[in-house]
Amino acid sequence: MERTVRTAFIHRLLFTSGVWVVLSGTDVKALAVGAVAVPFATWLGLRLLPQRQHLVLGRLVRHFPAFAGGSLIGGLDVARRALSPRMPLSPGWVEVPARLRDGGRVAMGAELSLMPGTLAAGVRDDRLLVHLLDTEAGFERAIPREEAAIAAMIVEAGPSSTAAGGAP
Amino acid sequence: MGDLATYAFTGIGLVFFAAGSAGLLRFPDVFSRLHALTKADNLGLGFIALGTSFQAGSWRDVALLALIWGLMLLAAATVSQLIARDALRERDGE
Repeated sequence: MERTVRTAFIHRLLFTSGVWVVLSGTDVKALAVGAVAVPFATWLGLRLLPQRQHLVLGRLVRHFPAFAGGSLIGGLDVARRALSPRMPLSPGWVEVPARLRDGGRVAMGAELSLMPGTLAAGVRDDRLLVHLLDTEAGFERAIPREEAAIAAMIVEAGPSSTAAGGAP
Repeated sequence: MGDLATYAFTGIGLVFFAAGSAGLLRFPDVFSRLHALTKADNLGLGFIALGTSFQAGSWRDVALLALIWGLMLLAAATVSQLIARDALRERDGE
């Protein structure tokens, strides 16, 4: 347990250091302030949001092309509808079982909001409510695919670590 | 060459921002409007950041632009979920 906390600290420290250098540059003064601020921010972050799940970075990177392609299609689709004089819309809702929890659920909602035609609107009774821009277009077919992709990126850090994304 | 890329990409970005704004004004309800804002503005800022990065003087400027885009993406995707959830509650009278 002690070891996982230390690993989480180091991973987050590297990430926060990267953000700091990008924000404030490699000036000596900036680095001096960062030498204090970055470990403190990392420590505070771990206290406020302890590590319960961790990301498999390789899977995140591998998902990026699909994400970029999907958001490009999503943006083109909504732009076309918004600028078209006829404005073809057929809004509606679908409910899907919310299998992911905590951060995974939020990440999936965020992902769906950028994919074509879907928008997450919270969870009710363990069912994810998804708004569709066009109920005829089959946008909802992407939902299980996105869920599987995000489930594959997350590993539960707790003692009861089960493979995510399987049957509930 | 860099200038040409800047004109092209920022131009594309502006079209997406215009489309997002058109959707915000024209779409019938709050949920549909959120689709327009998140998806079109994400691409709008993405293309503008891409175009501007051709004028960047250092790798840090490029990373900064990428960071700004990433943070905006995170904020838009999070806030749109919150607004949608709240609007749904209000509609259903909870």
